[in-house]
Amino acid sequence: MSNNETNFKFLERFDKRVAQLAKQAEKYVHTDPDSCMFKLRLMVETMAKKLTNLQMRGDISQDLGAMLGALERGGIVPRRQADSMHAIRRDGNAAVHGSPTPIPTAMRRLKEAHKISGWFCKMVKRGSKVQISEFAPPEPPMPVDNQTKSLHGKIDKLEESIEQRRSATRESLLMFGPQENVKEVTRRIIEELKALDNVAAAAGEPTIDADFVALVMAMDLEQIEEDPRHGGDSRQARREAEQQLDTIKQHLAEREKAFLAERTFLLEQRKSL
Amino acid sequence: MSESSQINLATLWFLSARAMAVAGEEMPSVQEAATGLYAQAILGFNEEVCRQAKDNEHINNKTLIDCLSGVRQLPGELAEKILTGVMMISYADRKMKPLEVRWASMLASAIEVSPDDFQRCCVNARVIASMLRPHGAKS
Repeated sequence: MSNNETNFKFLERFDKRVAQLAKQAEKYVHTDPDSCMFKLRLMVETMAKKLTNLQMRGDISQDLGAMLGALERGGIVPRRQADSMHAIRRDGNAAVHGSPTPIPTAMRRLKEAHKISGWFCKMVKRGSKVQISEFAPPEPPMPVDNQTKSLHGKIDKLEESIEQRRSATRESLLMFGPQENVKEVTRRIIEELKALDNVAAAAGEPTIDADFVALVMAMDLEQIEEDPRHGGDSRQARREAEQQLDTIKQHLAEREKAFLAERTFLLEQRKSL
Repeated sequence: MSESSQINLATLWFLSARAMAVAGEEMPSVQEAATGLYAQAILGFNEEVCRQAKDNEHINNKTLIDCLSGVRQLPGELAEKILTGVMMISYADRKMKPLEVRWASMLASAIEVSPDDFQRCCVNARVIASMLRPHGAKS
């Protein structure tokens, strides 16, 4: 694709601001990949804000991560689109904080932004027809030498491997496996629960104290912790759980840092070419 | 504990947790990472064990009766941790539906916890729910 063409013309009809950011990102992808990532991150943020205003009620945090989380939980953003939006958010944040963005990474995110854009158009104007051509990678302003091409190949492989590792982490955290048919599993569980409920009721089995559960849910945490019957235990549970959660969160944060370090290491090699 | 025992235990956790989530009729929120975070942070499983536990080979042929029978055989402390995690999921939306109450009751009976221990699990679950902040949990 030549420098004057764009992959994002179709967006203008749906959201001028998003279209403008996408085109700017496209323009910078070869010459300034960090700026490309800034623009893409802003583009995703603009999309998220629009979707939040259109489709969600209540007070939603303006933090992009929280906004995407709320949209995903609310079933507004499907898993695949959410993954791409989070990837753009993460790499955009890394660029803002001084971690250099390789061209192949920016190109990968630009391609993802193109895919999200098609879905976004359908979300903001339901029923409208969106005709999107296949993504054509913008051409570099100057021919790329073989050494740089080889380095870009390595970075692309690294990106692929980082994405696989991130996806493995995500799969490990979710309630259902990627191969599972959630609707079918849910239907089966409901059937089983109802059958067990009938059996238990027929056998006259007492249920747990639902009033107590309701009371715990209604109480403020401070009250629970001050209650002499529970205070010690719940404070201890909080301390232990906080420590254990911190360990896992720190592990996940260190993994992300390691990904960035791997990427930076490859970019450093370019300087020594 | 061997890896296969860990996978079996993790499968028990994911089954118990999804039964509670499904009983709560809040399917979009069950995709929350809270289940996996609890598995890794509190129950101590690694990523690979959590992934394998949800493989068809391990989870597809297990029923809720297998799940109840599995938790009955666990040491008390571990079984209570599973019960606490399951209660944490039920607190996610701050509502208790009849099937959620029934599932909690069946798990508590299988584990044979005393009413006092059950109350302690509930309180701890409420505290952890506020930390993990699954869908709707506000403190």
